[in-house]
Parts: sequence; C-alpha cells; structure tokens
Amino acid sequence: MRVQLFGTCLVDSLYPEVGEAVLRIFKKLGVEVSFPPGQTCCGQPAYNAGYHQEAKGAAEHFLSVFTGTDPIVTPSGSCAAMVKHGYPELFRNDPKMLAVAKSVATRVYELSQFLVHVLRVHEKNLTGKGKVTYHSSCHLTRMLGVREEPLLLLKALKGLEFVPLPDAVRCCGFGGMFMAKLPEISIALAEEKADKVISTGADTVTGCDAGCLMNIADGLKRRNSAVKVKHIAQLIAEGI
Amino acid sequence: MSTQTSLNFRANAAKAIKDAPLRASMRNAADTFGTRRTSAMSAVDFEALREKASAIRMKVLDNHAAYLEQFTTQATKAGATVHRAHDAAAANQIITQVLKNHGVRMAAKGKSMVSEETHLNEHLEKEGIEVVETDLGEYIIQLDGETPSHIIVPAIHKNRQQIGKLFADRLGVPYSEDPQVLTKIARKVLREKFLTADAGISGANFAIAESGSLVIVTNEGNGRMVTTVPPLHIAILSIEKILPSLKDLPTFIRLLPRSATGQAISTYVSIITGARKPGDATGAKELHIVLLDNGRSEILAGEMREMLKCIRCGACMNVCPVYRTVGGHSYGWTYPGPMGIVLTTLLTGLKKSHPLVDASTLCGACNEVCPVKIPLAELILKQRVNRVSEGLSPSKINIGMGLFQIATKSSFLFSLGERLANMFWPIMRMFGGKNVVGRLPHPAKTAFRRRFK
Amino acid sequence: MSANDTVSLFLENAAKVAAGTHRVENKDRLKDKVAAIVLKGVPVFCPQTTELENVVAALFDKLAPDYTSADASVEEVTAAIAETGSIVCASTGGKAVQSSLLPSHHVAIVPREKLFATLDDFFAAYATSPPTNITLITGPSRTADIELNLVIGVHGPERLDIIVV
Repeated sequence: MRVQLFGTCLVDSLYPEVGEAVLRIFKKLGVEVSFPPGQTCCGQPAYNAGYHQEAKGAAEHFLSVFTGTDPIVTPSGSCAAMVKHGYPELFRNDPKMLAVAKSVATRVYELSQFLVHVLRVHEKNLTGKGKVTYHSSCHLTRMLGVREEPLLLLKALKGLEFVPLPDAVRCCGFGGMFMAKLPEISIALAEEKADKVISTGADTVTGCDAGCLMNIADGLKRRNSAVKVKHIAQLIAEGI
Repeated sequence: MSTQTSLNFRANAAKAIKDAPLRASMRNAADTFGTRRTSAMSAVDFEALREKASAIRMKVLDNHAAYLEQFTTQATKAGATVHRAHDAAAANQIITQVLKNHGVRMAAKGKSMVSEETHLNEHLEKEGIEVVETDLGEYIIQLDGETPSHIIVPAIHKNRQQIGKLFADRLGVPYSEDPQVLTKIARKVLREKFLTADAGISGANFAIAESGSLVIVTNEGNGRMVTTVPPLHIAILSIEKILPSLKDLPTFIRLLPRSATGQAISTYVSIITGARKPGDATGAKELHIVLLDNGRSEILAGEMREMLKCIRCGACMNVCPVYRTVGGHSYGWTYPGPMGIVLTTLLTGLKKSHPLVDASTLCGACNEVCPVKIPLAELILKQRVNRVSEGLSPSKINIGMGLFQIATKSSFLFSLGERLANMFWPIMRMFGGKNVVGRLPHPAKTAFRRRFK
Repeated sequence: MSANDTVSLFLENAAKVAAGTHRVENKDRLKDKVAAIVLKGVPVFCPQTTELENVVAALFDKLAPDYTSADASVEEVTAAIAETGSIVCASTGGKAVQSSLLPSHHVAIVPREKLFATLDDFFAAYATSPPTNITLITGPSRTADIELNLVIGVHGPERLDIIVV
C-alpha cells in the first residue's frame, strides 16, 4: 500500500515532529509514503478570509502536485475539509477543474479516518500512557463528520487512561485568521478551553489539528499549566 | 453606547472581555440555553422537522409577492388596516400618524425586534408619545436606557444584582435580587399600564397568508395584554415572516420554542385575525398591521436570500463561541450573533458593518442548530468574499494575500518563506505583536519537507 | 390512542408546565372539584354562557361583574390539545379571551369531546376562517428574563387549574 502525505503548512513550518510521527506510524505498518515535494498549502487561510482568487491559486497548485490514484493522507481535519469541500466550491463554475477537484476529493483522508477505516489501527496492539483528554476540532467534527475515529484510536492505546473533555466540540478560538484578526476573543476562548482541559485532571490534551493544539497550548501557558499538548499522531507513533 | 457601532466590533469585544460580570452572565446563559435546548430537542426528530420548516419557508420566499398579496387581502377582509412601509422612517411615520389620529398619549408595547431596527421608541418619544415596554427583559433595559443584547432574552447581559439595583434606583422599591420579587414588582407596575394604555404595539412571529392572521408566541402574558386590552392595536413585522396557512403552524410551534428557550411550547400562542367584529367580546376595535421592507426585497432578489428564512429563535447565538464571549452589544446593531452578522451586513451594507464578518471562527455550530437550515457559516464566508470584492479589506491584508498566493504556487518560494520566517522571527514578533505572532511557537529550524530527504 | 389515553397524555403534558390537573366523571363531581380548587371569599368571574359554567356558577354567592375585577376566573374553554397540554380559548360566540388573562387564577373546564390529540388535528379544524382571537395556553404565565431563572406568574395568570369533564 502506498499513500501520498500532505504535511500541511503548519506542520511543515511549526510542528515538523508531527510529520515525523506520521512517518513512523506508516513505517511500522509497512505503508509506503511519498511526499510530493511541490506541496505548499491547501489555501484555507485565503479561502476563509474571502480571498477566493488567491485560494484558487493554492488549490490549483495542490491539484497539480497530488496527481495519481494513491490515497492522500493529512494530519489535519481542516485541511482535509478544505480539499474535500472547499475545492469543489471554489471551482463550481469551472467544469474542468471541478472534475479534477471532485476526483481528488475522493482520495483525501484525515489521518484518523485513514488509520481507522483503511488500516484498522484501532484493532491492533498499541500501548500508551498517562491520562489523556481530547479536543474535537470544528471542521473535523462538523464538516468531515469525524467523531468516533480519534476516540477509537485513543481507547486502543492500552495503558492510556482516556478522560472525556467537557464541551469537547466547542470551538477553541483558533479559527485560522481569526486568531490574527480578533486576538482578544481568540485568547479568551483558548483560556476557556484550557480551563476545561485542566478540569479533567489529564496530563495531556490531544487532537487532530495542529492549529487548534497550538492555540490551546498558548491557553494552557497563560494558565501556567503543565498539561502537555500532543497531536494524536504523536501518541499513536509512541504506542505502535 | 454611541461608540458601540458594528465598525468598532473589535474594540467593543475587547472591552466586553474585560467585563467580568458580563462574562459570567454570558457563560451562565450559553450553558443554560445549551442544556435546555438539547433536552427539549430530544423529544422530537429535529432533522426531519427542520427539513420541513426550511422547505415551507423557502416556498414562501420563492413565491413571496403572491403570499404577501394574499396576506394583505385576507387581513384586510378580516378588518385590519394593512400598511406597507418601505423603510424604517416610513414605518415610524405610519405608526406615529395612527397613534396621533387616535390621540394616544401612552402606548403599551410588546417585544418587537423590528421596532428596535427602526428605532420606533426613540421616534415616538420625540413625537411626545410615551411608550412603555412590557416584556420583562425589555422593561429592564428600557429602565436602564439600553438596547437588547439578545433577540429572545433582551437583558441576559445583566445579573440579578444589577437588576435589583436598577429597580431600587429607578422605581424606589426596596432592594431585592430575588427574581420572583423583581418579577412581581414588574407585574404590579405594568398591570396599571396595560389597563390604562390608549394603544398596544406589538410585533408578530408569523403572518399567515391564507387567513390574514398574525401569530404571536410569548410566555409572560404581556403580548396578550397589549393586543387585546387597549382599543387600538398596531402590529409591526417584516415582510418575510409569512407562512402559507395555519396548517403549517404546528411545525413551527414544535421548533421555535424548543430552539429559543428549550420549551416544548411557549405559554401563549396568540392567533389574531383582524379587528373586533360584531358579536365579538375580544379583539382590538382597530387593528393596524405595518409590514416593513427596509431592504428585504433586495435581499430576496440576491444570492443570500436564504437568510430570510430566519424565524428569530436565537439558537445560533446561544451556541456561538464568539457571542458567548462578548455578548450582544459588541455587534453594534439590532441583531447579534451569527444571524446578526449576516442580517446586519445585508441590511446596513458592508461599508457600514464589514468588521462583523470577522466575528466568527466559522466553527459551524450555528449551522447545526438552525431550525430552518440557514447555512449561516457559509453566508458569513460569502460576505467575506463580498468584502474583498468591494475593496473593503485592509490593504495590508490584500498585500499579505498576494504574497500568500505567490508563495503557495511555488514550493521553492514557500520553503524560502519558511526559512526567512525562522531567521527573522524576532522582528516578525515585534511587528506582529505579542497577542498574535507572540502566541505562535518559533518556526522549526528544519522544516518537515527538508527532513524528508 | 384511546380517548382515555388522550386525556391522560393531555393532563400529563399540562402538569409538566405547572398547571394543576384534575379529572372528573360528571358535572356533579365538577362542582365539588371547583369548590375545592377556588379560594373561598375571592371575587370569582364566570361567563355563565354554557351548561357547565352555569352548574359551577351556582357555587358562588356573589360573582364578580367582569373579569377585570376578579381574582379567579372559572370558565369552559373552547378546546384542548393533548400533544402539548394546552387549553385553547377562542373568541367565538362572544367569548372574552381576556378572562383567561387578567385574573390571577384561571380555572379551565375542558369537556373531553373538545380534546384534540395533536396540533395538526386542532389547526386542521380551525385553519380556514379562524375567529378574531385563538389563544393556546400552556401553563400559567412565566418568564426567564432574569438570569434565565424560571419565575411563574408574570403578567398573565399566576395559577392555572385544568379540569377535564
């Protein structure tokens, strides 16, 4: 089995260790990973800011880089949602590009989707440790409908104690450009999310989106909390 | 209050965030609304109901002129006088004229968001007519000279201590923060107003085309009072609030109270068909219905027309992470939260209110709860696209997006950009500020793409 | 659903919204029930337009001349709806719907043949040519305007009792 990895711009520049964790997981499972070197960004920052011309540029580039038939796996719910739902919307008036976008959309998986539905990782022998809680990112949950998969994976890590997060699906306040445009509100929401995390008594909070985790990490820092922040890829890589 | 315009959303929000009692009130409200709505909705098939409701509302919008005409004809047949008001000024003028024709000195008023939109009270006061708000929440904010901060619970931003103090200061009653006591005080004070008012002014939740009826959904009894006790009743509502027939009402009765307050049904559902007729012992002797356009015809003809399906339940603002943090006044106009972002920018124009389109993380929680399936997050995004195409986006962001486009079309430039960011991070932090760039981790020395080889 | 079950559902739903709920076999029992529910000595209004209302009116020595001066109102209502536990007061036949609004205590008599199972059933019957006023009433008046704290008894009645006959 072979997959194409879309690292995402956040992982590429700020959290390369998450990318490395994804590679470790696939290596352990005997899955060949290619990293199309021309990849950049899915275009979501421009798309969500209303700059659809600029977003189209990024989208066209993405579609030209991720050719072929291999599944495309990405450690980000919002980026997967962008490709699956945002691209067809961007190209709705361009039949040729729309066809390409729709075809690529069928190949795209967010990491936990792929691990559960294709590789059935949650049925394997995995180990984990500590007390972990889970933040359910907005686009992952509401646009991709990924609710159970991350929980199945976490519960499969024997030795890891899972504790549910109150209001897990409430937005953490990252919102991409929102963090830059309305930082006061972003910080207030991050602090509220951090408070909920701290209330669980967990030593680690995890999730499927680096943007959210980055925002939550800052929220925890503002609360002087020692709770660790790890992408689900890192927890699985440690336990596989 | 004059500085709280939509244009100052960020400044309004920053101020609201530092207001600890407001934060506590909003947190209590959002959590309570959430629990109550979830509990109430578990008794019905929400998805099936809202699919039905959305279809009924869309049918009305698609045949709006015909339904509006039918409502007007039927309401007139039933004895009401129907007025069309093109804009806010026209509505205020029509209502003032009717009141003056009847020598009205004091009008008792039920809750109407559309009347907030037209600033009716302000206008009537200037014309020398006293208006007494009778919905408890509206009464509270009228006492304090404020505007509503939520479309269902106008005084939600206040806590019991603040309300207790307000009553003590303005009404001269002994201080109490017990909601029961405060409510009974309002009952006593306002009863006298109901019985002596020369006119009653109300809104309406729905206008029924087939029978020419108005439907008013309430809990307190003041809505019933102002529409049946004074001899003159004036109802103001916006033109899109139509349902085809009373047979369509059950779907909305099942959805609206559950979405708004978590009730299976509101205490009162009043269906008013025309003025008092021979043989009647109930009904205003004269009923005037003012149908307000104020920009809705334009919206109906445009790409964002789905917004007009809105039945004003408030569910979207109750789940909105931004609204729960900053409260309704930050939005700077009549309607707050997700529906407020869309409706305000549509009705007042992006030029006057474009900062509101940023007041969302596009989390989509609103889409999940809208009882008429308005794609609110998508409409907010559409307004962001419109803001860009209308040249209202700040030039520094235009430049930034231009650079973004260049960088994302070339992995070489993208990688270069990453390396520059890593090198010049301290400078970027300085320009980017501690609350934005300062929240991000330092870019990795070696980006993931370079580790792959 | 049998007629009996519909009555039970109706009363169950009405009770959920703080209405006092009662069920009597016949008009004699009705008289006893009203006597037990209505406070002694308070001014009571009764329209005295229906047979059941006349039966009940006989209980009181002196009735209030109108609903504005009454503390309690005892009357037969137009209909009821089991789905929501609502009573319905309509202006048909010269009925003053305000009698269910102004007095602090409302006692509603529901003849069981006037009970509809669902909202749809009710509106199917009333959709064309509705009277000037139809009011669905579900429980006593209430508000949650202060901190979302529920308070029963605002501008409308503070107490509602429903008797199904």
